[in-house]
Order: sequence, then structure tokens, then C-alpha cells
Amino acid sequence: MKFIPRKARNDVNVSPEHPLVEATTLVVGLGLIFAVILVALLFLVDLLLWFVPPEKEIRMFDAWLPEDIATVAVDDPRLETLEALLARLSRHWPDAKYPFRVEIDDSPQANAMAYPGGLIVVTAGLIEQTQSENELSFILGHELGHFHNRDHLRGLGRGALLLILFTAISSSDNSAALGSSIANLTLSGFSRSQEAKADRFGLALVHAEYGHVADAWRFFSRINNARGGLLQSYLATHPPPKDRIDRLAGYAREQGWSSDGSVTPLDWPQDPSAP
Amino acid sequence: MEPGTVQNLNLLLQFGLPLALILFAYFIGSMLEKRHFRSIGAREDALHGFPVTTFRNLPQNWQVGQAELVTGNVVVSLDYFKRIIAGLRGLIGGRVKTYEPLLDRARREAVLRMVESAKSRGFDAVVNVRLDTSRLANSRGNGEGTAGVEMLAFGTALKLDGR
Repeated sequence: MKFIPRKARNDVNVSPEHPLVEATTLVVGLGLIFAVILVALLFLVDLLLWFVPPEKEIRMFDAWLPEDIATVAVDDPRLETLEALLARLSRHWPDAKYPFRVEIDDSPQANAMAYPGGLIVVTAGLIEQTQSENELSFILGHELGHFHNRDHLRGLGRGALLLILFTAISSSDNSAALGSSIANLTLSGFSRSQEAKADRFGLALVHAEYGHVADAWRFFSRINNARGGLLQSYLATHPPPKDRIDRLAGYAREQGWSSDGSVTPLDWPQDPSAP
Repeated sequence: MEPGTVQNLNLLLQFGLPLALILFAYFIGSMLEKRHFRSIGAREDALHGFPVTTFRNLPQNWQVGQAELVTGNVVVSLDYFKRIIAGLRGLIGGRVKTYEPLLDRARREAVLRMVESAKSRGFDAVVNVRLDTSRLANSRGNGEGTAGVEMLAFGTALKLDGR
């Protein structure tokens, strides 16, 4: 038998599929799977909220303070003003089950946050930058809206679930990057609707309290013109002011709420510790 | 700067830059790969008919005049695009198709270099060919070292007095 060498006609060791086809399939497929898992987890958190009614939440977070804030002294007279305003506003939400508390964080960055157990934290920077009671009422009302929609617990639950999810897939750096991009896109959509809902609730409280919504969003008009600096913190956790003002004004028009009315000035009691 | 501009810039940095890097790696990488495959094909054609076997025993009618060790080795690096796709593939499993051409190129190039060295030194055949591979660097995408495939082909080159 004589050996006759022949050329191999095709290469069985290389897949004929185009690499870009594989890339597209993988990115789109994995992206979809990840998005589905993410949305399922978000709904799971909403479901879990049923098992933590406000009464239970209040017991769990009684007198609790987040560790990363530096509250001012308990005898700061500004606390009284805030507490009185909060009490007036929450009267218009009679079903509220929370014993609302307010604390001042001694930070120059303007921001306000809702924490589990009915705690609202307002920064000293925000107090300095609000110019009327109506402005401040709307900001407090907005945070009350987060309690109404239970966004504060939802945020906590989502944060915990996302942490678990990312730890699970962080074995591969690339896929973790893909995952976090998708999570950011999904979450920003979710939180935008949460913020809008809280805004509508806050505006309704302001209208109920004053009979008009004048000045309610003036804080945002002001930060829309002068941004950055001490407002960075607020802008990082809240929607862009321009969209927000447009939405608020549209909502007030829809509801037939007048935006003309007398604005209550703010006169803060002197902070004894201030120089 | 308008907040919209800042957001767009952020978006560009977060998604655009890596995407541009991946596409750049893809175009350069696939161009180099095509060129390499063309070169391999042409050189394999040129060496067509030169006996290269894995047999340890010779045909009985071969009369060996001289025998010597011949080697050919090559290191082929993978590109960023291949690495990303393989990383995603690692989540669900399956054939890592982007790595297959690398192994193929390395194996054929190593054998070609071995045979070319044998032929240029006047040998008539290479027998008892073996292939060996080793991992030179970490293939995880953590930036340590350059991941690639190293292939070593070696065999016994023979000068035949008659066959």
C-alpha cells in the first residue's frame, strides 16, 4: 500500500461561527437573563415588604440612627422648628403609622433622607439653603412620601439583594461589569418613578397645609441655576431639578392647585453653638 | 457644564470607552489572525508531501543516514475581545469558540517551524513528532501577565540514504 498525502479540505478545529455573532448572542442573552433575574428580585423585595408592616418596622428600628451621620446636639433649637413643621404636615396623613422623628445631620452638603422606623434626617446645609417654610415643607413632604410608599425599606432590601447578586457573579470581572451596568439602568428607572411618586405625595401635603403650592419647588429652581458644590449630595440622590420642576408644575395644574399664595417665611431660632 | 452633558460624559466613559477598546481589539486581532492563517496555509502548501509522522518505528525499507532532534515553538497571545467573550462564556459554559483559532494557529505554526527547520537543514522526514503545551501567564482578565498559548512541537529528523 502506498501512502498518498492529501491536503485537509477544511479545518475541524476552528468553529465556523463568526466571533461577532457569538459576542452578540452572549451579551444580549446574558443581559436579558440578568435583567429578568434582577426584576424578579426587585419584585421579591416588594413581596417581602408585606411581611414587615410598619408596626414591625418601628419595633425593629426603634430609636435607631444610621452610623454614618453626625447629628447635632439634642437641644439644638432648630430641631423644635423642624419637629413642629413635620407634625403639622403629618396631620394631613392621618393613616400614618410611623412615630416620625427628625434629626439634623451636621453636614454642609444639602440633603434629606428617609430612614427605617420613621426617621427623617435633614442636613444643616439644607436648612441653610431653604428660604421659606413652604420650600422646607415640600422637602419634608417628599420624605414622608417615601414612607408612604415604603421606599426606605425597599431601598435597603434592594441594596442587600444586589450585593448578594454581584458577589455571586463577581468570579468573572467582565460579567460583573455587564451586570452592574444593567443594574444601574434598571434601578435608575425604578427610583425615578419612586421619586416622582414621593414628589406627588409631598405636594399634596403642602397643598393640604397651605391651600396652595406657591414656592414648593423654588428650592429646585434655585439649585437648577446654581449647581454643584454643596448641592452635589442632593443631586446625587434625587432627580435633576429641571425635569422635577416641570413634572411638579404639571401635576399641580392637573390637580387644579393654585401656585399663588402667601409664602410663610422661615425664621430659625439662633443655633447656640453657631459662632 | 449642563448636567445633561455631565451625564452623557459619564455614560461615554462608562460604556463608550470599553466598547471602543473591545472593537479596536477585535478589528486588529481578527486582521492579524486572518493574516496568520493565510501564511500558515501557504507554508503548509509549500511543505506538502514532506513526511511528518507520529510513528516511533520506521518503515522497514527506510535506511537512516543521520538523525537529529528538531523543535519548533510559538507563543500566541489572545486579544482583549477574545478575553471578554471567553469571560462571558465562563458564566454559562460551552465551547470557548474564540480560543479555538488560537490553539489551531499555535499547533500548526509550531509544526511548521519544526518541519521548516528540518527541511532547511537537508533532512528528508520527521518522525516521532510530539506536541507539548504550557501556560505562560495567567489567563484570567486581571491584568497580570499576558495570557496566551505556548506550543512546542518536537520530533526526530531523519536523513535517508534510501527508501
